[in-house]
Amino acid sequence: MATLAEKLGFKKASGVGEAGWGHTVIVAIISLIYFLPVLMIIFTAFKPSAEALSVPPTLSPTSVFGLIPDQFVFTPTLENFGQVFNRVMVTGSAPEPTGFDRFFFNSFFISSVSVLLALIIGTLASYGFSRYPLKGNDTYLFIILTTRMLPAIVVIIPIILMFRVMGLSGSYFGIIMLYTAFNLAFTVWMMKSFFDELSPDVEDAARIDGSNEKKVFFKIALPQVKAGLAATFVFGLILTWNEFLFALLLSGKDTRTVPVAMNQAVSSGGRGTDWTLLASIETLFLIPVFLVTFFLQDHLLRGVTFGTVKR
Amino acid sequence: MSTIDVRKVTKKFGEFVAVKDVDLKVDAGEVVCLLGPSGCGKTTTLRMIAGLERASAGEVVIAGQNMNELSPAKRNIAMVFQFYALYPALTVGQNIAMPLHFEKLSKVDADARVNKVAKILHLTEVLDRMPGQVSEGEKQRIAVARAIIRDPNCFLFDEPLSRLDVELRHSMRGQIKEVLSNLSKATVIVTHDQLEALTMADRIAIMRDGHIEQVGTPHVVFAKPANVFVASFIGTPQMNLVDADLLSVKADKAEFQIGNMSLRVGVNGAVNRIGKSKVTIGIRPRAFVPISAAGPSAITATAELIEPMGAETLIHARTIAGGEIRVVVPRDKRVKTGEILHLEPDAAQTHIFGPDSIAVRP
Amino acid sequence: MTVSLTNTQPAPPLFAPVAHNWKLALLAGLVISILAILALPAKLSFWVVGAMLANIAAAFAFNAYRRKYYGGLLVAPAIAVLFVMNLFPLLWSLGLSFFAYNSNNQSIRFVGLNNYIKVLTNDIAAPANWDALINTGMFVVFTVALQMIMGFLLAMLFAKQFPLRKYLLILVLTPMMLSVVASGVFFSYYYDPTFGILSYAMGEITGNQFILMDNKVGAVAGIVFTDAWMWAPFVMLLVLAGLVSVPKYLYEAAAIDRVSKVRQFWTITFPYIRGLLMLALLFRTIEAFKLYDLVYILIRGGQDTKTIAYLITEIANEQNKTSEGAALSYVILFMVIVLTNLYLYLANRRNQGV
Repeated sequence: MATLAEKLGFKKASGVGEAGWGHTVIVAIISLIYFLPVLMIIFTAFKPSAEALSVPPTLSPTSVFGLIPDQFVFTPTLENFGQVFNRVMVTGSAPEPTGFDRFFFNSFFISSVSVLLALIIGTLASYGFSRYPLKGNDTYLFIILTTRMLPAIVVIIPIILMFRVMGLSGSYFGIIMLYTAFNLAFTVWMMKSFFDELSPDVEDAARIDGSNEKKVFFKIALPQVKAGLAATFVFGLILTWNEFLFALLLSGKDTRTVPVAMNQAVSSGGRGTDWTLLASIETLFLIPVFLVTFFLQDHLLRGVTFGTVKR
Repeated sequence: MSTIDVRKVTKKFGEFVAVKDVDLKVDAGEVVCLLGPSGCGKTTTLRMIAGLERASAGEVVIAGQNMNELSPAKRNIAMVFQFYALYPALTVGQNIAMPLHFEKLSKVDADARVNKVAKILHLTEVLDRMPGQVSEGEKQRIAVARAIIRDPNCFLFDEPLSRLDVELRHSMRGQIKEVLSNLSKATVIVTHDQLEALTMADRIAIMRDGHIEQVGTPHVVFAKPANVFVASFIGTPQMNLVDADLLSVKADKAEFQIGNMSLRVGVNGAVNRIGKSKVTIGIRPRAFVPISAAGPSAITATAELIEPMGAETLIHARTIAGGEIRVVVPRDKRVKTGEILHLEPDAAQTHIFGPDSIAVRP
Repeated sequence: MTVSLTNTQPAPPLFAPVAHNWKLALLAGLVISILAILALPAKLSFWVVGAMLANIAAAFAFNAYRRKYYGGLLVAPAIAVLFVMNLFPLLWSLGLSFFAYNSNNQSIRFVGLNNYIKVLTNDIAAPANWDALINTGMFVVFTVALQMIMGFLLAMLFAKQFPLRKYLLILVLTPMMLSVVASGVFFSYYYDPTFGILSYAMGEITGNQFILMDNKVGAVAGIVFTDAWMWAPFVMLLVLAGLVSVPKYLYEAAAIDRVSKVRQFWTITFPYIRGLLMLALLFRTIEAFKLYDLVYILIRGGQDTKTIAYLITEIANEQNKTSEGAALSYVILFMVIVLTNLYLYLANRRNQGV
């Protein structure tokens, strides 16, 4: 039993205990029900446009050996994914590029740069807060936290005005800086709890052995908080990747991200919602963040536990 | 009756056999220590008795009842964990009272019981504190208090003293022994510390690689080790084990060849049976008598390192055959580095282990 | 700590024009900024003030570096970004809330507390604002409660180690990764009276057409469920982190002490997840106060479901009453800060009690 579990990539039990396949079946059923709305979106991406709104709704690409009645079965197609990038805009004319390749690039570029930038700046700051506490440290930290607590709408109008004056509206720099700030509070708060957990003795020992501050940080402190970096990265990525309101109001035509473009693509043309198109955009858009989360999953759990549980 | 009977118990983790065919009987009021190096299966054996691990084969019988299929809760046992397993969110008093909830006692009765054991273990002062606010020694006593507050079938201790410093360990050994002697329950203590086992146990079971190598009173395992492993494991400094060829036995005197050195030592009659063969001679460091001149019954060795141990002095010496031996002499016997020693083994404390590593005894 | 306080260098005299003289930079910056604001057109003075701020920041940085004041140096970039992108706009909009500013015709006039008085007491605006506030409160309570319950139950499912756990866990985490546009639009499809699967299923069962969103209760339920579905995985992740951190030997000891499952939960498990539950509560409450997008996408604020964030966006964006929007924002901000402080106070008191 244990060996099979290990073959499937599990670590040894570290919690309430181990359960067998019976538990797996129960959890699998519940997880699939929970996942169902996502699954429907993914299936819709493979449906022919005409079937998107069929009544009764078609539910499955296969009849699962005749288990599902024919009226619920659709024939999968890949056509919709092509439509994301090239589409007939005006009836009768040739398909035109939709610009979605650019929007996907924008999402990639803006999210990854801003999350990484926040991670770099935030990690430095959290190390500073943790190792060289200032007078009134907690107050600074609380102020940093409050910036995360504000409704986006409170800061957005001045930012629009400020960007207009500085000529940053619709530029990569502007939106990246905004997202960096948006992620920074969270990063500082999370990484600080990690550094607080580390024993400063190790760092002091390295200093006595002749390491300078730079070396202490990069060679001693940083490698010990890898799980934290991974967890913070995943959380930041999920939030930034799907951010809608800032992107809607601040990104220009060239810097438009997928969530904004998705919103426009599905509601444009006065034809009502284009379900299959929306579904295929979302399906494509989900893949990167899904993969990142999947591969950093172990760190995610360890990362959250690390700083917050111990008092 | 509070007894434990472990019959041919085996535990496998996948392909790995952690415990194999272990037999152990513990009578009411008896304290048995499972002693062995780490990874020898002693903790796994204890956990199988507790029901925290399921035995792959064999029977665990507690108080005359087969407990194999019963959960720990149904076995009515008390256990002290290595890390004490104090519930961090409860006060010391609440921790001690945890096992009482099952008995559905009234608040007054429960408090009375808690106060009683707290008094025995000197915990009255700290009952209202949290486990995080007490010392290591107090934590240990809380864990013991939680175990003795009920009337279980047996007591199980997993490395109970391993986290205490030397001085506390010494006093806790006495305290636990005293508490246990008043309870007359079957008790199993797991430890890797032989001093702990020798002082606390009525009998010691020495384990290695999932087997029990020998079970006996502290005196027996020390004075009559069953095999080379037990001989080397019990006793500090470690027993000298010298590989030798047994040449002949005449009138309870055996002739050995150790490298280029020959030695004549008095042995028991059973040695006669094994005849000419390769054996291991075991001599405790304290069983050497220094004599003034070389002779056929003495080992000649050069003192290389002198370690004063207070009342005695430990000498690491090199024999003329090239092997190293440890010798303990009284403090007043002055030895200098480089000095040539002639050491005569005490025949009564010399053990002969046959080619199969088993002690040769009458 | 070890090296932070080695300020052996003397401070330079006030008027020495060296890079690390932050006092001079501060003084010059103030004077020049004020002069620029008074004398130059707004666009130009903005850049002058910006340059002065950068100069002061640089002076501080040089000073910190010279004195080996590493703590300050490490924190500085983060503070700078947060100041420019968060605090500065915040202060600006706070200022704006005391003016009558209309982004349409760019007119500006100082009105003191009038905007606040208006949003809280005006005959026409105030009732809508109060309604939105009550709606927001309702959404906060319902969404957070549902998220906590669902997240907690999901976490309990995944607390044990079992085959395929990793793969099933990622399925449950996926809703959190969806774009709110897509999940909102698709939930409006699932809820759709004609095409939606919910109405279809209910129709098959009851025989009547089922329309979820045609009354307030249904609309609120629809929004609350969608939001909870998306964010319960977040709560789950936090709770799960707490659950897996409980040492196994505590459960073993409890089994031997014959402690009932219910008591085990309250005395062993719950203390470990309490902190994380509180954290999840804090985060989700803050987020719930900002609820806007789902209300917009699912029902466009119909059936009396407008939240305060919805209303602010409407006022500021569609009606161009920027100042009123800012004033209303500060009412919310005030509430959020009071709530979080209350939370932090309670959490701290709890911790000290333990």
